[in-house]
Amino acid sequence: MAFDLPPGLTAREFERALAAFAGAVGEQWVLATDEDRATYSDHFAIDEAAHRPSAAVAPLTVEEVQAVVRLANEHKVPLWPISRGKNFGYGGAAPRLKGSVVLDLSRMKKLEIDVENGTALVEPGVGFYDLYDYIKKNDIPLWLSVPGNSWGSVCGNALDRGVGYTTYGDHTAQICGLEVVMPDGDLVRTGMGAMTNAPTWQLYRYGFGPSWDQMFVQSNFGVVTKLGLWMMREPETMLGIDMEFDKADDLEWIVDTLAPLRREGILRQAPSIGSWLRGAAVLTTRAEWYDKPGALPDSVIDAIRKKFSMGWWSLSMRFYGPEEITAATAKVVRKAFNGRPVLSIKETAWRQGDPPELSAWAGVPITFPLQNANWHGGRGGHVGFSPVLPANGRAALAQFHRTYARYKEFGMDYHGSFAMGERHITNVNQVLFNKDDPEMMARVDKFFRALVDDATKQRYGEYRTHLDYMDLVASTYDFNDRALLRLNEKVKNALDPNGILAPGKSGIWPARYAGERS
Amino acid sequence: MNRMPTARRCALAGGLSLCLALSWSFAETPQEDAGRRLYEEKCGMCHAAGGMGTGLLARRYPPGQELLEQRSNLTPAFIEVAVRSGIGNMPRISRAEVSDEQLALISRYLSRQATP
Ligand SMILES: Cc1cc2nc3c(=O)[nH]c(=O)nc-3n(C[C@H](O)[C@H](O)[C@H](O)COP(=O)(O)OP(=O)(O)OC[C@H]3O[C@@H](n4cnc5c(N)ncnc54)[C@H](O)[C@@H]3O)c2cc1C
Repeated sequence: MAFDLPPGLTAREFERALAAFAGAVGEQWVLATDEDRATYSDHFAIDEAAHRPSAAVAPLTVEEVQAVVRLANEHKVPLWPISRGKNFGYGGAAPRLKGSVVLDLSRMKKLEIDVENGTALVEPGVGFYDLYDYIKKNDIPLWLSVPGNSWGSVCGNALDRGVGYTTYGDHTAQICGLEVVMPDGDLVRTGMGAMTNAPTWQLYRYGFGPSWDQMFVQSNFGVVTKLGLWMMREPETMLGIDMEFDKADDLEWIVDTLAPLRREGILRQAPSIGSWLRGAAVLTTRAEWYDKPGALPDSVIDAIRKKFSMGWWSLSMRFYGPEEITAATAKVVRKAFNGRPVLSIKETAWRQGDPPELSAWAGVPITFPLQNANWHGGRGGHVGFSPVLPANGRAALAQFHRTYARYKEFGMDYHGSFAMGERHITNVNQVLFNKDDPEMMARVDKFFRALVDDATKQRYGEYRTHLDYMDLVASTYDFNDRALLRLNEKVKNALDPNGILAPGKSGIWPARYAGERS
Repeated sequence: MNRMPTARRCALAGGLSLCLALSWSFAETPQEDAGRRLYEEKCGMCHAAGGMGTGLLARRYPPGQELLEQRSNLTPAFIEVAVRSGIGNMPRISRAEVSDEQLALISRYLSRQATP
């Protein structure tokens, strides 16, 4: 079958590049059949062909990564690094630039844990399940923080600013020290790792002089081959409060109640206020309730909520630590909600010695939330629209109304959540769709662009986005004629003159591929 | 051999006892043992109790049959197509994640009860 070559390469040059890669990693680990190209495509994408790679190369060691990067420079082949490539909703394993070669690091699975200090040093292939199993097998009293789809990689998730549900849920913030293969093949360690064999690499983030860890997050400036991460000690207790709320407009006071608790550090975990469909899309399918197109009417929403005893919004909070602290925190939080029309309140408790609570709040890897892709039946999928808002009830409610109106206008079912940061909200909206429904699929792109446009008017930018919208979102960061993008591209061109690393990631295009910007 | 109740094998509460029961319930050939271990490692996150695959298959199959290890109608050819081409909401799995040799062992293990 015909396929897209890396831009500018002839078929013969491409073959030569693959042969060179095979010399570095072994023939078996250069994957270039039609089937291979399909396995690295984004099964959620609106148009899979737009991001189909030409091949994948799967090195096992840092030295092999360096060799592949050097060969990519020599042969002018763009590489797209992935850790485990399960970035569903944002592009999966697929590259921004079609015809790129996926640099699949999933075979690199070394991991070290410093139990006393509560840190891990992981290679990119270490999945959340790998880390969890390792900890259980070795009886290590540490907890993970996992995303709602835990099939992916500890490193890849943190590098895309992924989030989890414990107090360590801001995964990028837990990074402490990286090892990076630079676009020219050089090997750098950041922070204290810049000193050979420093025992403090995973203990002190900044090192001496400028600190570079964040430079490799959501960027295309290097290939991370080791990532240091702080982990939570198994707490003595995990107490919790789950709440349901009846009315969509309750959002305003829920946010205003939580915001000071977060800001003052009383709530140390980022609770997420989720709309009813977040729960329902995992438990049931649309066809069981309604067979007409267009957004679900309120009567159907009410029936679904009733069946599963759900509020319009749900909220779960968890407190970690000695019971003297967690019980007191629970008391303070309950008091903050006193007198508010909460539909239902449930308290939860886990204490050391209890059987593990198998949930993301306890850092146990899960995949069941992926069931939501089946909401419409057929081969489902979604894209995430995730603007960052101020932690303010009025602003959150206004953004919700704007977004909900757009969902209705485009005949889509609203699936939103508001994750409370210390001073901001990450407003993750999933656009659930059915890839077997061409009429619906034709609406998705226009819908998404309308959402971005609405948010931009309010001066809200997204924290993360799908491959299709990286240029669009980058263009909304527009201060001083997009000075940040210009800076990123200056750095990009200086570090990567051949533009071989992830061209187009986060809207950052090297000069060589500048014409590919959408 | 590691028979711990890891997250892969039992993705949710309630899965725990079922998983343990499953993994002790039959005598295995060495190949089946290798296939089972690979199945748990590579597929368990979605196909153990509580995983995404199990949850979705439960919508289409009678109780018990949502767990692939309990099925008697899985053939190697079907499994191999499902894994490489994807099926329903299951994405395609690359050869770097599950090599052809590993897939053959997994398929053999899952089709061990197939009625010819
Ligand atoms: C139902 C559902 C729920 C989800 N819930 C969550 C959630 O709660 N929280 C969350 O964060 N996400 C969530 N996701 C999104 C996504 O599935 C996860 O973030 C997942 O962990 C990402 O896949 P991965 O870890 O394999 O990362 P990868 O796909 O390997 O990496 C992500 C990106 O980071 C870059 N990258 C990766 N590795 C490297 C490297 N070594 N060097 C340089 N760059 C690199 C690449 O650009 C890559 O595309 C959810 C998705 C779905 C479908």
